[in-house]
Amino acid sequence: MPSTLTLFNLCCNSIMGTVVHKLPSFKFLNPTSSSSHYCSTTTTTTTTTRTSKTFRAGSRRRSFSISASASAVREDNPALGSLSLGHITRPDFPILHQEVNGSRLVYLDNAATSQKPTAVLNALQNYYEAYNSNVHRGIHYLSARATDEYELARKKVAAFINASDSGEIVFTKNATEAINLVAYSWGMSNLKPEDEVILTIAEHHSAIVPWQLVAQKTGAILKFASLNQDEAPDVDKLRQLFSRKTKIVVVHHVSNTLASVLPIEEIVLWAHDVGAKVLVDACQSVPHMVVNVQSLNVDFLVASSHKMCGPTGVGFLYGKSELLSAMPPFLGGGEMISDVFLDHSTYAEPPSRFEAGTPAIGEAIGLGAAIDYLSRLGMQKIHDYEIELAKYLYESLLSVPNIHVYGPAPSENVDRAALCSFNVENIHPTDIATFLDQQHGVAIRSGHHCAQPLHRHLGVNASARASLHFYNTKEDVDDFIQALNDTVNFFNSFK
Amino acid sequence: MSSSSISSSLRLFTTKLPRPLLCPKTLIPSKPHNLSFLKPISFQRLPTTPSSSPSPSPSVSASSSVPLQPIEELPPKLQEIVKLFQSVQEPKAKYEQLLFYGKNLKPLETQFKTKDNKVEGCVSQVWVRAYLDSDDNVVFEADSDSVLTKGLAALLVNGLSGRPVNEVIRVSPDFAVLLGLQQSLTPSRNNGFLNMLRLMQKKALQLAMEAEKGENLGLKMDGSVENGNFGSNSDLGVEKTPVGVSNLGLKVDSRDGNVNVELDSEVGGERNRVQSSNSGGLGSRGTRIKEKLESELSPVAIEVEDISYQHAGHAGVRGSDGETHFNVKVVSKEFEGKSLVKRHRLVYGLLQEELQSGLHALSIVAKTPSEVNGS
Repeated sequence: MPSTLTLFNLCCNSIMGTVVHKLPSFKFLNPTSSSSHYCSTTTTTTTTTRTSKTFRAGSRRRSFSISASASAVREDNPALGSLSLGHITRPDFPILHQEVNGSRLVYLDNAATSQKPTAVLNALQNYYEAYNSNVHRGIHYLSARATDEYELARKKVAAFINASDSGEIVFTKNATEAINLVAYSWGMSNLKPEDEVILTIAEHHSAIVPWQLVAQKTGAILKFASLNQDEAPDVDKLRQLFSRKTKIVVVHHVSNTLASVLPIEEIVLWAHDVGAKVLVDACQSVPHMVVNVQSLNVDFLVASSHKMCGPTGVGFLYGKSELLSAMPPFLGGGEMISDVFLDHSTYAEPPSRFEAGTPAIGEAIGLGAAIDYLSRLGMQKIHDYEIELAKYLYESLLSVPNIHVYGPAPSENVDRAALCSFNVENIHPTDIATFLDQQHGVAIRSGHHCAQPLHRHLGVNASARASLHFYNTKEDVDDFIQALNDTVNFFNSFK
Repeated sequence: MSSSSISSSLRLFTTKLPRPLLCPKTLIPSKPHNLSFLKPISFQRLPTTPSSSPSPSPSVSASSSVPLQPIEELPPKLQEIVKLFQSVQEPKAKYEQLLFYGKNLKPLETQFKTKDNKVEGCVSQVWVRAYLDSDDNVVFEADSDSVLTKGLAALLVNGLSGRPVNEVIRVSPDFAVLLGLQQSLTPSRNNGFLNMLRLMQKKALQLAMEAEKGENLGLKMDGSVENGNFGSNSDLGVEKTPVGVSNLGLKVDSRDGNVNVELDSEVGGERNRVQSSNSGGLGSRGTRIKEKLESELSPVAIEVEDISYQHAGHAGVRGSDGETHFNVKVVSKEFEGKSLVKRHRLVYGLLQEELQSGLHALSIVAKTPSEVNGS
């Protein structure tokens, strides 16, 4: 432990005379001048984008050795240098440029919700300022414009995930509601006693609870696949749970706690082999990588806008047309009907059938703007950058003594998402999160991350979690690690 | 005989403790100013140093816009603790102080880490145990797996242990603001500190109520409470009357002769306008009570007295139509062979409907004809 700190000293002796200190407070005005205060990233080469791309492609193959002092600068990785995606995009996110408790805000809770770029904020504001109106039935100009923009947002979502038709996109309140939609609408009319629903123990509560509720009503049975020794969901065991009784498989794409990625294409093949459908919780994947529902061939997929730089209050369900057409309504009301009589009603075609009431119009349009923003950056580019950042975060964390990071280690074959849930021995994660926030302005999360069964399996009550997005930089990770070491020292000194 | 016991019961209801006793959550300026007990000092927040956060978190500033409970109202040890924290300026040193408290907190034995003692809604695990000592002051023990929470628990334990129940109940969580620990006071499920304090107050209340019953039965409660000697007449059992969860009325006998105090212990108790009641003839509820007891107990003598007016203006009464507190004296053969507690339970059982529809408290004298004639 002392050696790491000494190294920090050597690196950063321009700032700190002694070891354990708060960061000097300063306003982070020009986000691109990141080299001003840190273990220097002075190897910011002025390479053109093209060369850095090829270099990055090469460096991804390189295995990074986990050195004792992960604070050693990755001077050879321009992907994380001052022209990184993080540095370039930071100016677009006004919220990041503030101080919290006297320190620069370091926002590392992106798995909980992402920040929104100015383009999205503007889209929302513009909607309310210029053409706010109720959609779908109006005749007048404003409502026609609102309807057009709303339906255009739907098309953008469809294109973003490569759905074959925008009619396969149902706007919901969030991913949780989308899963409930499938559970109640599809589940209640397709599940019979002794039918099986297969999940993993690492699922988010929103993927578990709706199916528990429906299983109670229909007599279906839930089965869960556990983890393997790498602390990732055991894909082989998952496959073994499939049988003729399986009617639907509900799995995450990327785990919000373990950072592991499931092989969805294969899982879909195995599920379809036994005649089961697949519902994928893509909340942690759609915002961070290319997701192609046609090549994955999933039956249902859900995601939330607020995790992909869009506003809260809107999410979506993707469902194959033939499935949606056969599903009864979920919520009843206006918009989802065709004709209404006193003793019965007829219903609209999907997606309207599942969109009762006035939707979150401005928010959906905001989601469309977020998709435009993300598409302009390029999801592949975002993914590549985050892979690098994920490795850097993981390795930096391992340098903290007595730490355990959950989930599989990154390697040639294993990509991790840019998040790490961890525990430091003998220190409660809530203490860590509190101290990090109060003394260092670092925002992480502590708790069970809506995955209690997973934590029970791991044998802990709670864990701390730092999660990144493409607008985070290497300096954010460095700040976090330095703050974490300070925090750990503080609490250890009281043992 | 009967009249003198009634007049003595009238005397019983002069409160010696300040009314209304404030629900810890609300410190609105409608405090009664006729009570010299409460000094109307306006409290000024001490400025924190620039190195700590310049602006309080929104939840803190929201509560600081309301006048805080004056520090003098806090139990003495808690006052000391608050002042200690105020004298420590640097935030990190405050945390060190907090951890120091936590470290010296007596550990809680595993047998007490029960579900009942667990503070709900905490991200960390926190347990609180409460029991009454020989002076009927409440003693707390606590533990947590998070050292910061343990520190906060230690603050509360050190500050509140060994104090009388009603003093503990009156503590408002706002004092946390005074500590300068950036402690959020938003009542959310994550607010361990707030939930801890509430649980401690709730347990203190429960202990006090059980102690009353215990002293009527001559039993030990909670394994460690002795039969408190409140000095009440054994034939004038005063019992609490719970009216729903959110409005827990309590009568606490104090030591100096049967003072009754009503407390509203739960957060979110009803705050409605005070309605005045006429204390002349019996209103509809009083009549109903009388008729019910008459028909079911065939009493030799019965007296029902509406004393709601004495309690007008305190929290438990607001929003009702005024018929909330009654003295009931019944002399009936039905009580023969029944213990005091059984007699009271019988009466309560008969008046269930009333209790659920706004009757807040009953003071019951239940005697058999032979007891009345013999004494």
